[in-house]
Amino acid sequence: MEALFFNVEDGFLEAMVRGYKAGILTNNNYLNLTQCETLDDLKLQLAATDYGNFLQNEPSPLATTTIADKARETLVSHFMYMRANAVKPLSTFLDFITYSYMIDNTILLITGTLHERDTNELLERCHPLGIFDGIAALCVATNVSELYNTVMVESPLAPYFEKCLSAQDLDEMNIEIIRNTLYKAYLEDFYNYCQGLGGPTAEVMGEILQFEADRRVLNITLNSLDTELSKDDRAKLFPTCGRLYPEGTMKLARADDSDQVRMALDSYPDYKQFFDLPVGSERSLEDKFFEYEVHLNKRSFTRQFQYGVFYAYLKLKEQEIRNIVWIAECIAQQQKERINSYITIF
Amino acid sequence: MAHLQKERVLIAAIGDEDSVTGLLLAGIGHMDSKQKPNFLVVDSKTPLPKIEETFQEFTNRKDIAIILVTQQVGDEIRHLLDDYTQAFPTILEIPSKDRPYDPSKDSVLKRVQRLFGEEGDVVVAQCGRGVAFKHQDTDYATTK
Amino acid sequence: MSGAGPRFAIFPTRMALTTMKNRLKGAQTGHSLLKRKSEALTRRFRDIVKKIDEVGHFEYSGGAAKRKMGKIMQVANFSYAEVMYTTGDIGYQVREGVKSAQLKVRAKSENVSGVQLPAFEMYVDGSNAAELTGLGRGGAQIQKCKETYKKAIEVLVELASLQTAFVILDEVIKVTNRRVNAIEHVIIPKIENTIKFIGSELDEADREEFYRLKKVQGKKKDKLALETAAREKNQGFGAASEEAQPTNLLNEYEQDPDVMF
Repeated sequence: MEALFFNVEDGFLEAMVRGYKAGILTNNNYLNLTQCETLDDLKLQLAATDYGNFLQNEPSPLATTTIADKARETLVSHFMYMRANAVKPLSTFLDFITYSYMIDNTILLITGTLHERDTNELLERCHPLGIFDGIAALCVATNVSELYNTVMVESPLAPYFEKCLSAQDLDEMNIEIIRNTLYKAYLEDFYNYCQGLGGPTAEVMGEILQFEADRRVLNITLNSLDTELSKDDRAKLFPTCGRLYPEGTMKLARADDSDQVRMALDSYPDYKQFFDLPVGSERSLEDKFFEYEVHLNKRSFTRQFQYGVFYAYLKLKEQEIRNIVWIAECIAQQQKERINSYITIF
Repeated sequence: MAHLQKERVLIAAIGDEDSVTGLLLAGIGHMDSKQKPNFLVVDSKTPLPKIEETFQEFTNRKDIAIILVTQQVGDEIRHLLDDYTQAFPTILEIPSKDRPYDPSKDSVLKRVQRLFGEEGDVVVAQCGRGVAFKHQDTDYATTK
Repeated sequence: MSGAGPRFAIFPTRMALTTMKNRLKGAQTGHSLLKRKSEALTRRFRDIVKKIDEVGHFEYSGGAAKRKMGKIMQVANFSYAEVMYTTGDIGYQVREGVKSAQLKVRAKSENVSGVQLPAFEMYVDGSNAAELTGLGRGGAQIQKCKETYKKAIEVLVELASLQTAFVILDEVIKVTNRRVNAIEHVIIPKIENTIKFIGSELDEADREEFYRLKKVQGKKKDKLALETAAREKNQGFGAASEEAQPTNLLNEYEQDPDVMF
């Protein structure tokens, strides 16, 4: 059914995104990039790819952060173009993607505002995908309850705030816990929305978001071992839409050390293999996660007539930017031996 | 005189964003009772007077033992570093993130190197230099 | 001789000479003590210079000795790059999260020939501030980065102590050497000059005294000679009368009748 009407509204954009996807750097490009001796060489190499002259107006010496910013700008412009041309429900879907950046931005603003930082500087630091109309209004707030009210009125994140946080929490809770609470609410909401869309979108996105949720569960568990975060609080941060839910998350919530985490994963062979890192390997667990994420995102391009490709494109592109920045860092800091730790996409 | 330095417990830092963040991650950051930080992030937009002012402020603070300055920033306020002769707080130049370290610029290393070149006669080298330190004489005059 | 070189304005007496001799002795003892102090400090100073060199420094043209500090900072910076890779930019968050220092230094002091050299020592105080940073992502990298930086800071602190010691020793040695030189080239010669001056003045006085005595003696001799001559003459005259009883001078008067009124 969806194949019949998909192209009426979203065909153009799907074509766009598949076109963009073709421009993602391949293994060959990476090989060329890793051969570079200086960042200027890198710039030259990148000019031959889809990035084109994005660094043209940047004076030497290039900073790695400039490269990252500029690369992100191109990605954002692609995304904004698609967002501008989208109609419901794709536009809503794309909005959902931006919410995760909004969470980060809101957290940033909360931290900054509470410390009375310069508003303009704060806004400059926000991720462009996470900018929403009332964002500047957040900076006006002078105290926590005012801030809370502004967030409730101005930001699309209001439902998440409403659901799990009170003004008092905002004052007392560790900012990281707030962030993760919001993220949990967001993931669950996004997951439910995708399931509501049904069809191949639900299947593809379901898989990706389940993994995202599970990754968060594992990360939160591992990172909160031996910290002040209590087990109950830990369990509260676990998204409930992953494959680990409910049995795995329950075990993980009680885990005291990494061995117990491993044991909790016994019945999830997919995830268990992440922990089988060869001794002395430079690959970390995070790298494994990234690899798996790339794998899932790549796979979403094999399905047609679904929205997963938009999400996947964004995520793959982000990985690509990370790769480029990594290579740039290695070159800038003369740490060539680690330069191959990037994750190849195609 | 070391007993006078008991108050000096902090490590301050002036440098580029990444270097300072790394040092803060390790836990050197401190906000004093007036919410004044003991670090300064310098980017291309930071005006020179601001760096100078912060540097002077840090050197005059009584709770700072060591001031870490990345070399890139150090180059900007080289005149201040070269003229700096106090023993406390100690200024230490550290490498910037993406620029190889150049020892020949380091104000203290320059002094070390000068001695190094004259290894044969440190004493002569010593005597040849600096009346500027006169004000400190009394501090160290322990033997009569 | 005594006029050459500066000397203390002092009256050349024997007592002043003794004082001066004592002062000379004092100056010499002081000089050798200070010299020894200076040598000890210089030795220490060179140790420190060497150490700064090892921990911190010069990359010899051969490229063999890479700087420890440079290297460790590079590793630390790189581990931050890893954090950026997994977690994204956390700089702002970290900076805003700063409350009170966890890593602090305390200064211990070491006594080298009466000079207090501080040695900084890093210690961990209080809880881990950014503990939950990267909770959802990249926490492991952040912890690793934290440890790497901590290690780097340890080296930096060590280097900072060496450097402080360097600066302090630099000053002290300079002062000490200035003193050694002052004693050696100014004070001691001055005292010696004074001693020589007093010596020569005293000698001069001695000579004068001698001459005076000589003169007195000469005069005495002359007088004696005169007397002897006169006596000899007398002897020649009155060899006979010499036999006679010495006349009582009063005798003449005894024959005078008392004048009665």
